[in-house]
Amino acid sequence: MQIPFRYVDRNSIIHRLHPLVKTFYVVLTLLVILAPITNERFLVVPITWLVMSIILWILAKIEFSRFSTLIKLLLGTFAFLILVQGCTYRMGTTVIIELFELQYGETNIGALKLEGVLYGAMLCIRILTAASSLPLLVMTTSSADLVNAFRKLRVPKVATFMIVSALSFTTLIFEMWDNIMNAQKLRAFDIDRMNLFTRLRRAYVPIVTPLVLLLFRKANDFQIALETRAFGTPGDPTEVEQRPFTRTDVVMILIFLVVFAATQVVRYYISASLAATG
Amino acid sequence: MEQSGFELDNVTFTYEDGAQALSNISLKARPGEFIVVLGANGAGKSTLCFLLSGVVPHIYGGKRSGKVQVSGRDPWDDPMYVTAQYCGVLLQDPEVQLFNPSVISELAFGPSNLKVDRETILERAEQAMELLHLKGLERRNPRDLSGGQKQRVALGAVLTMRPRLLVLDEPTSQLDPVGRWEVVDAIHQLKSAGEMTILMTTHETDDILDLADQVVVLDRGEIILSGSPAEVFSQPETLRAAGIKIPDALDILIQADQAAGQKTILSDEQIRTMGADSVGKSLAALIQQGRLEVLPQPTPARLSGRNDQPFALEAHEVTYQYPGYPPVTALQNINLAVRTGELVGIVGQNGSGKSTLVKCFVGLLRPTSGEIRVEGQDIQKVPVGEMARRVGMVLQNPDYQLFTISSKEEILFGLNNIGIPIEEAEKRVLEVLRWVDLEKEIETFPFRMSFGDRRKLAVAATVALDPKVLIFDEPTTAQDHRGRYQLAEIARRFRDEQGRTVLMITHDMDLIARYAERLVVMWNGKILLDGPTAQVFSEKEALERSFLHPPVAAEVARSLSRYGVPETVVTPEALLACLRGRVD
Repeated sequence: MQIPFRYVDRNSIIHRLHPLVKTFYVVLTLLVILAPITNERFLVVPITWLVMSIILWILAKIEFSRFSTLIKLLLGTFAFLILVQGCTYRMGTTVIIELFELQYGETNIGALKLEGVLYGAMLCIRILTAASSLPLLVMTTSSADLVNAFRKLRVPKVATFMIVSALSFTTLIFEMWDNIMNAQKLRAFDIDRMNLFTRLRRAYVPIVTPLVLLLFRKANDFQIALETRAFGTPGDPTEVEQRPFTRTDVVMILIFLVVFAATQVVRYYISASLAATG
Repeated sequence: MEQSGFELDNVTFTYEDGAQALSNISLKARPGEFIVVLGANGAGKSTLCFLLSGVVPHIYGGKRSGKVQVSGRDPWDDPMYVTAQYCGVLLQDPEVQLFNPSVISELAFGPSNLKVDRETILERAEQAMELLHLKGLERRNPRDLSGGQKQRVALGAVLTMRPRLLVLDEPTSQLDPVGRWEVVDAIHQLKSAGEMTILMTTHETDDILDLADQVVVLDRGEIILSGSPAEVFSQPETLRAAGIKIPDALDILIQADQAAGQKTILSDEQIRTMGADSVGKSLAALIQQGRLEVLPQPTPARLSGRNDQPFALEAHEVTYQYPGYPPVTALQNINLAVRTGELVGIVGQNGSGKSTLVKCFVGLLRPTSGEIRVEGQDIQKVPVGEMARRVGMVLQNPDYQLFTISSKEEILFGLNNIGIPIEEAEKRVLEVLRWVDLEKEIETFPFRMSFGDRRKLAVAATVALDPKVLIFDEPTTAQDHRGRYQLAEIARRFRDEQGRTVLMITHDMDLIARYAERLVVMWNGKILLDGPTAQVFSEKEALERSFLHPPVAAEVARSLSRYGVPETVVTPEALLACLRGRVD
């Protein structure tokens, strides 16, 4: 299983960027996707940003197959969103397929409607845009660089380390999950061959219980390792790995600002045009 | 109290749950002294380390009486970051100690927390990398290194904090032979530098004979022996009773001396240089003096003699590649056939392909090419759940599988999965628990059991499924001497009493020499050697290519071959059976 969010060591332009520049890009992404989308014409904004993200991913030289787990998670989420929105969207009128009839208020939630599907798709594009930015930061920035960047942003040391440890624990959890699955398969508990309902009913207790117990134990060992290396010392630690801003960093910030500004201008004109047409 | 030693004066410690871990411990270390603490699992070794480093009471609470002084301070009174300035700790498991993305940032982590200036940190990191042979790995992610490298990085990360007391808690127990050698070599260098007081706990008595200035033996929280290595190891019966392994070289010498009617008296210098060579010379001298004679009948090599049995497991041209960037070939054209009733040892360094091969046998991995057959049937399309009835596998860590509220429920879980009726299943629960000597623990919550007992429970849960083949994946890892042999005995009984087949992966050459009749040596995804155990151990050059060494008994036997000792001898018992005392 590919572990999402794990740092991938490469010598790419994106890897060499200052972590604060990548953090800035993540913040701009959040601003782009948090702006309301009330009409499908606004989709041009997140799609533009998504295209830029895709270019950044290509420059980062990270193999597409590394995202297999993340993509499975996203596809599941997208299918769920489109189905739920397709059936429950209040302003949906164009029925694509009627599965059954069940009125809820004025909406037949047994029918899949085009307007709902489009609304679900708009949500999916926003999620995809968001999901394309944070992994770019954590998969191309070593945790030492992340710690330094957060320190510069005045994020408290404990909070910074919590984020970095969580990323480190993600890897550990995936490894343990695999080992536990194997251990239970060896006892004729073949979760891969169970259907969704059987899995939900009885599959996760033998997997999740050992995982939780092991995580408690690992967390204790982790704490010992941290504390015996003076992690609790008050104040900021010495900055060992210094990373100055380069010309490339400045250029990338300018590119991000220009694209962001352009999307906001487009957004303004779409709003104005919608207002004009009533 | 001198500034870089430590002193425990009549210390008793009880954990919050009421378990008394240490009782009336008095121990003093002079600056620069190397103290080794021996003891079975649960003897209190780790608690002792925790008391010195402040882990107790700051992470694990409890009640303490008596006095603890480390570099003139009591770790009980100081926050841990203060204690960390003079006492460094290296834990068993390198995985949990490494949380930085590069070797250099790992080495810098401790001193940067202590606000040491940047230039000094880099200088210390440079020195640590030099000492621990980590040069060239500066930018590597510690998680991608080998076990020995990881543990050396973790050790380096402690050394850059410049502790005056270094506490090493079983630093080699989870490593393969190469990793163990690398770490022990590093510890030798630290000892030679003489700048720190070092306390090390271990089960590997062979490693510490030439390191220890003082040896302390703990048994159920109490010191039962302490003194110089010569003083401690001259009491083999007390050590055996406490579950401590007597180094094989010493054990052979003591028993040969007994047979020759003399008591073994060794100086510390002789203990330090003890090995197959010196023991061979001592035994040769006894033979030349006529105090020992070599019995005329040579001990036959233990050949399997099962050529009439059908094959239980077969691998034909098996290749396996792990997907990756680039893909890693773990097995290359492996051909191996194991007959029903054989007990086969599989040895090799980590990464040699041992675990991948057995995972192919149980269906957890499907070969990239080639064929696996179990009892003659190709298992390519057999689901892994179905395979569990045919081939059982006991993993290194029992905690990956235990999840129920009692030993009984744990075993019933597997039986339920294969559809055994409840009456029959309950009968099997009793049988298998009796078989692994855990029948009194039938209602016990598994996580309250000792590590050794949890492993036995994992074996019982696997055996209950009545597999034709049982595979043990490194049953010796993180186990004390007693625990290792208990599991090996279970494996032997499974083969002898039930006529089944056993495969055992291990790094313990002495143990596998005692139990396996056939040995497979793997190296770099290939089978390097395969044959009767004695024959494989005689291939010294080939073994050295895979960084393995034959057991001490085999080397002693070979040095005595000119007196008629068969070169096929590989265990101390077989060696001593060839020798008879001639006491006048």
